Amino acid sequence: MTNIFSIDWYFISLLFFIGLSCILISKNMFKQLIGLEIMSKACLLAVILSGAATNNVNLAQAIAISMILIEAIVITVGLSILIKIYKTTGSLDLRKLL
Amino acid sequence: MTYHLALFILIIILALAAVMAKNMLFSALILSLVSVGVSLILFTFASPWAAVFELSVCAGLITALFISVINLMPKEKKLLNESRLKFTLLPVVLLIMAVISWIYIVPFFEYLSKHPHLSIHNYPLGQIIWKDRVFDLIGQICIFAAGVFAIKSLFARSINEQKSHKSQVTGHKF
Repeated sequence: MTNIFSIDWYFISLLFFIGLSCILISKNMFKQLIGLEIMSKACLLAVILSGAATNNVNLAQAIAISMILIEAIVITVGLSILIKIYKTTGSLDLRKLL
Repeated sequence: MTYHLALFILIIILALAAVMAKNMLFSALILSLVSVGVSLILFTFASPWAAVFELSVCAGLITALFISVINLMPKEKKLLNESRLKFTLLPVVLLIMAVISWIYIVPFFEYLSKHPHLSIHNYPLGQIIWKDRVFDLIGQICIFAAGVFAIKSLFARSINEQKSHKSQVTGHKF
């Protein structure tokens, strides 16, 4: 019988892989931000799962709250860079930046 | 346990749909559903504060930001003009990754979960945030300030633009 924690880690690794592949595959900045968001969600789940596994959920929650706030700031700055690039080049394609 | 696993599978499917979606608006909306799913999982891990933050910030604020940015663009730009082949191949690659993970990752974490380093203390959340990890709060404030400065510098007006804006507002020519 497989442990529930290892199954959770399995799904978290798949979620992280989806985000990473989105960043690697897509040349669109918007899609890359979506991939970053998915990756950060996988990391958030990993932190909480580690806290639950080591009987220290409250510390994991404190770190998760910090992560969520930082994630929001990163996405906001990323979106403002996206708008600036769109105003400059008229496209969100990263290849047109070169 | 079934509810828990069903949520994880739902999140994986939704994340895949968000990545594969051709329409940006559709992608952002599915991402908010992923956030809702993640917050439900956080509730099942007995961490309600993190779940509430995830629900309000990620599913609410970030989705609103995404949608407002999409609305700034013209209609034809909302569709992604990329090769669809690599995105249609993504589920196949994910399936291969799932098989490899099942062979290597599951036994590794099973071994790790048999020897957990259990914490002796589990202090209340308030004490951890306001006493033990005060330095995190300072870091958050610094990152917030850096974000504000970054946005301010990205959308800074040049002196000529400022003058023309003032003249438009006041009707006075500089």
